[in-house]
Amino acid sequence: MHTVTRPLIVLSIACLMFGIAGCAQPPTEQIAAAEQAIKDAQTSGAATYLADEYAKLEGSLAAIKKEVADQESRFPLFRDYGKVDQMVVTAKGDAERVKAEAVKKMEEAKHAAVQAQQGAKDAVDAALGLVAHAPAGKDRAALEAIKTDAEALKASLIDVQMMLDKSDYVGAQTKAKAILEKSQAVSHEIETALAKIGKGHSAPPKSIKKK
Amino acid sequence: MPLNIQIPQKRRYAFGLLGALACSVLMIGCGETVPHDLVDAVESVDRDLMQAHAAEFSPSDYSRFAHQWMTLKARVEAEEDAIRWPWEESDLETALRLLHQEGRQTVARVTAQRNTLRRSAEEHLSSIEERARFITQQVSAIDSRFVLGQKPVESDLLIKQARTFLEEGKFGQSLLASQEAEKSLSAQKILLGRELGRYADRTRIGEWQQMAKQTIEWSRRHRGTAIVVNKADRSLTLYRNGKKMHSYPVRLGFNGIGEKRYQGDGATPEGQYRVSDKRGQGQTQFYRALVLNYPNADDRRRFLSDRKAGRIPRSRAIGGQIEIHGSESDLMALTLGCVMLDNEQMASLYNRVDQGTPVTIVGALDERNSVAMTLAHLGMGSDET
Repeated sequence: MHTVTRPLIVLSIACLMFGIAGCAQPPTEQIAAAEQAIKDAQTSGAATYLADEYAKLEGSLAAIKKEVADQESRFPLFRDYGKVDQMVVTAKGDAERVKAEAVKKMEEAKHAAVQAQQGAKDAVDAALGLVAHAPAGKDRAALEAIKTDAEALKASLIDVQMMLDKSDYVGAQTKAKAILEKSQAVSHEIETALAKIGKGHSAPPKSIKKK
Repeated sequence: MPLNIQIPQKRRYAFGLLGALACSVLMIGCGETVPHDLVDAVESVDRDLMQAHAAEFSPSDYSRFAHQWMTLKARVEAEEDAIRWPWEESDLETALRLLHQEGRQTVARVTAQRNTLRRSAEEHLSSIEERARFITQQVSAIDSRFVLGQKPVESDLLIKQARTFLEEGKFGQSLLASQEAEKSLSAQKILLGRELGRYADRTRIGEWQQMAKQTIEWSRRHRGTAIVVNKADRSLTLYRNGKKMHSYPVRLGFNGIGEKRYQGDGATPEGQYRVSDKRGQGQTQFYRALVLNYPNADDRRRFLSDRKAGRIPRSRAIGGQIEIHGSESDLMALTLGCVMLDNEQMASLYNRVDQGTPVTIVGALDERNSVAMTLAHLGMGSDET
C-alpha cells in the first residue's frame, strides 16, 4: 500500500504544478486596458503637450509586449507573468497621470489662445473704429492701404477661430498675437495722422462721385 | 547543563571554508542588480534629452531611447538578475551602460540638430524680414501698395508668427511660418508683375509713346494746347503748338498706377480724352476742375469685354467724372482716380486750357520708367512680367 501511494502523490503534485504553470496566461485584459489608457492620453493631447512623457508611455507598452513575448517563448511550465502584471499597473497609472497633465496643459493652452483671440479681436475692432474716423489727409493711397490692412486683419481673425476649432491652440495664440501687434500698429498709424491734422478732421461725409 | 559537541579539526576547516564561500556568494550574488549611479546616469541622460526637446527635434531618436529605457527600467524595478554568480556578467548592467552611451551620443546629436535648426530658422527669418522690408519700400516708392490688397498683411502676420515661434524656441514651427511668409512674398511679387507688368512691356510702352506723339502732333497741327499725363512719372505736361510749355507734378487716385477697370477701383484711366467741361470756383469741390470725357469708346468696349469674360463683377459700373483738379484743402486733399495738382498750379493750367483740349493719359513713355525699374529691382524683368 505504502509503495503504491508515494509515486501517486508525487505524480499528482507534478500534474497539479504542471496544470497551474500551464494555465499561466498573459493578463490580456489588463494589457488592453493599459493600451487604451495610453491611447486616451494621446487623444488628450499628450503627444503634443507632453511629447517626451508620451514617448515613454509608448516605450512602456513596447516593454510590456516584449516581456509577454519573452514569456510566451518559454516552456509553459516556466512562464511567469507576474512582472507583466506589475508593468501593466505602472503603465496604466502613468498613462492616466500623463492624460490628466496633458488635459491640464491643453486647457491652459486653450485658455491662453482664447484670451489672445479676444485681445486680437478688440485690437482689430479698435483699428476699424479708428479707420472709420481716419483723416483723408493728403495721401488717399495711404488711407486706402490702412483700410485694406484693417480689413485683412479682420479677415485673419477667421483663421484664428479655425485654428481653435482644430484644437491648434499654439498656432491660434501665435496668430492672435501677430494680429494684435499689427492692429496696434495700424491704430498707431491712424492716431499719429489724426494728431497731425487735428482730431476735428475726418473723412468728409460727402457722397462719392463717379470715378 | 552545557552541550559539549566535539568537532574534528579537519571538519571545522571545511565548515569554515563553506561558510565563507556561502557568505561571499550571498554578498556578491544577492547584492544590488546594477549600480545605482548607472541608473541615475541614464536618468540624467533622459533629463538632458527632455531639456534638448529631443521628442520634438528628433522624435525617432527619443522614441528609441524611451523604448529601451522603459524596458530596462522595468527590469531594474523588477530586480531581475538579482541572483547571479559573482563571475557572471550582468546583461542588464551591460545594456544600461550601452543605453547610457547611446543616450549621451543622442543628446549631443539632438543638441547639434537643434542648434542647426535654430540657426537656419534665424537666418531664414532674417532674410524674409529683409525681403519684406525691401518689397514694402519698393512698392511704396511707386505708390502701388493698393495693388497688393491684403497680401502684405498676410505676409506680415506670418513673419510675426515666425518671430514669436523663434523666441519661444519652437524653431521648426518658426521655419515653417517663415517659409509660408516667403511664399506670401512671392505671391506679392507675382501680383505686382501681373498688375503692373505693362509698365515693363515694350509693346505697350510703344503704344503709349504713339498716343503721346499723336497728341503732340495734334497740338502742332492745330496750333493749340494739349496735355499728356505720365502716370509712372506722376507728371502732367502742357504742350502748345507741339512744344512743351509746362510740366507739373501730379497725384493720382489711391490706385492710380493701376489699370482702370470699373467704378471705384481708384485707378486713373489710360487713354486719349478731351476736356469736356471746365469747372471754376464754386462749381467743384476741388478748387478748379477740367472734366474729361471718360469713358470713351475704347473704355466702353474694354469694360464690356471684361465684364462678359467675368473679369469684372456684374454689379460694377464703368464709372465716370474723371477730372484734372486741384485740392479741396491742404489737409483734406483726396482723389479717387483723377489727376490732382496743387491749387496754384491748377490755376495756372486752368487758365491755359480750353474745352476740347486733348488729354492723353499714359502709363509711361520710357522703358526705364519708375515702375519698370521697381519691377526689375524686385527681380521681375519684362520677360517675367
